[in-house]
Amino acid sequence: MAIRRADFPLPDLDEPLTAPFFAAAARRELRIPRCDRCAAFVWYPQPACPRCGDVPGWVTVSGRGALFSWAVVRRAFLPAFEAMVPFVSGLVAIDEDPSVRVVSYVVDAEPGSLYAGMPVVADFRPLAFPTVPGREVVVPVFRPLDAPTGAGGGPR
Amino acid sequence: MDDWGHAPDLEDVAGEVAIVGIGETAYTKASGRTAREIGAEAAERAIADAGLEPRDIDGLTWSGAFADFDAAAFHEHFGTSHDLWTSPWGGGMAWAGTAPHLAALAIREGRARHVLNVFPVAWATQRASMTGGPGEVHAAQAAKQNLEVPFGWFPQPVYFATIMRRHMIEFGTTPEQFGAVAVAARRHANLNPDAVMHGRPMTIDDYLASPVLADPLRLLDSCLISDGGAAYVTTGIDRARDLPRPPAVVAGVGEGYSGTGTNWAQQRAFTSTPQVFSAPRAFSMAGIAPADVDVLTVYDPFTVVSLMQIEDMGFCPKGEAGAFVEGATLHHDGGVLPFNTHGGLLSHAYVLGIAHVVECVKQIRGTAAAQVPGCEVAVYGGYTGHMASTLVLVKDR
Ligand SMILES: [Zn+2]
Repeated sequence: MAIRRADFPLPDLDEPLTAPFFAAAARRELRIPRCDRCAAFVWYPQPACPRCGDVPGWVTVSGRGALFSWAVVRRAFLPAFEAMVPFVSGLVAIDEDPSVRVVSYVVDAEPGSLYAGMPVVADFRPLAFPTVPGREVVVPVFRPLDAPTGAGGGPR
Repeated sequence: MDDWGHAPDLEDVAGEVAIVGIGETAYTKASGRTAREIGAEAAERAIADAGLEPRDIDGLTWSGAFADFDAAAFHEHFGTSHDLWTSPWGGGMAWAGTAPHLAALAIREGRARHVLNVFPVAWATQRASMTGGPGEVHAAQAAKQNLEVPFGWFPQPVYFATIMRRHMIEFGTTPEQFGAVAVAARRHANLNPDAVMHGRPMTIDDYLASPVLADPLRLLDSCLISDGGAAYVTTGIDRARDLPRPPAVVAGVGEGYSGTGTNWAQQRAFTSTPQVFSAPRAFSMAGIAPADVDVLTVYDPFTVVSLMQIEDMGFCPKGEAGAFVEGATLHHDGGVLPFNTHGGLLSHAYVLGIAHVVECVKQIRGTAAAQVPGCEVAVYGGYTGHMASTLVLVKDR
């Protein structure tokens, strides 16, 4: 039951259920699985559409959404996060279907300036942990829609 | 729209069985004991409390998810070898509330006469070696491991900080209102010598000054990590009346499930628990309304989970639990809704709900440390993320 992957807590790029999400992020795209037959998003990813059983495809979405809720994490619960705290981890309801909530870092904003419904947009940044030297994975993060594009760097 | 989860139809067992024996170990920080040892001690004490011998126990419900005290452990400890009807869908958490329903059906069908439910935990001891704990199970799930953990949305304090903030956003709930739940739990723990936090008074100022783990969630919003265990014996109502202790009669049981399982991030009713589905079923089986409840114990890993369950079980309208719990509402002596009168997971011990059910039995017997005067109806609200349960216990007529 314990996680034995050496690159944990980076995402497992060999996990078929979620690999397309990270492959898209590497191309600076936010992609979400959707059932073509039902025209409904299937989130989190599942091997089959829970409504009709079809195999969902992945579609590129705008990356725009509204901040639904968030936590300002001050205590590192895993050693990997010790150098990163404090950081904001939140849920973003995507514009195409607000019932789809993408979990990620909220960056380029003071925690005190965040508010429910705040318009945000996906950006794509390398994620790395000091506990996993030499590895990084590009992931979607969210920044305020009206904020300038950050100068890059990690999800802070 | 209440279609984000469901409640299975449970067979009506109202009045058929009663809890007749309870047993508890010491509740402690790291004890160095194994969960199996703790389970055996709790079992021994529950059987003795019921006025029974180990060989009288012919049914055992335990937690398949933990597997610390199964039939083999029972027989090894008691040196017995008789047939045991068993089910791994008992133990603690939500199942601490539904195990009496399993027992009722087994007793009705003649498979067992005296059914023991046991739940021990040794997470305080295990934490040092990181071989167990609430986060590990979640991190193993593919969606969480890849779409939540890498983004810092892990473990439980972060999930519930996010739910807490949404409750504040939607309903205007304040830190002082979350704090009222923690302070009430500590007040009760200070009346209960068995509670881990007995002798450690806490005020609302202490709460507000406690470290913020994941804003808005503070350390004092959070449960303990403990060693300890408890057990109870259920039997048919006629047999119960022959045994020494006053029966705590099982009047109603409910179960509810969230359609999104433990993927809290995706639960449409983000600030609700499956008590929405469970509690009405249990209250209907028991023929009671929320206003009839004399004492409520709910699975309280974080203060927001208590607020949500108080709302979802119908003790106040949705969104109003913050205002509801202020003042003396939750106090055992004169409160409108005496709540977690043993101290709960926050201040009694983190033994995952089994002690909540034991507390309900004590309240019905009239032997609780913080006894609610004239208690006749005691309710447990179990919560295990994807699932909630509701157990209504009443005094025998
Ligand atoms: Zn479909």
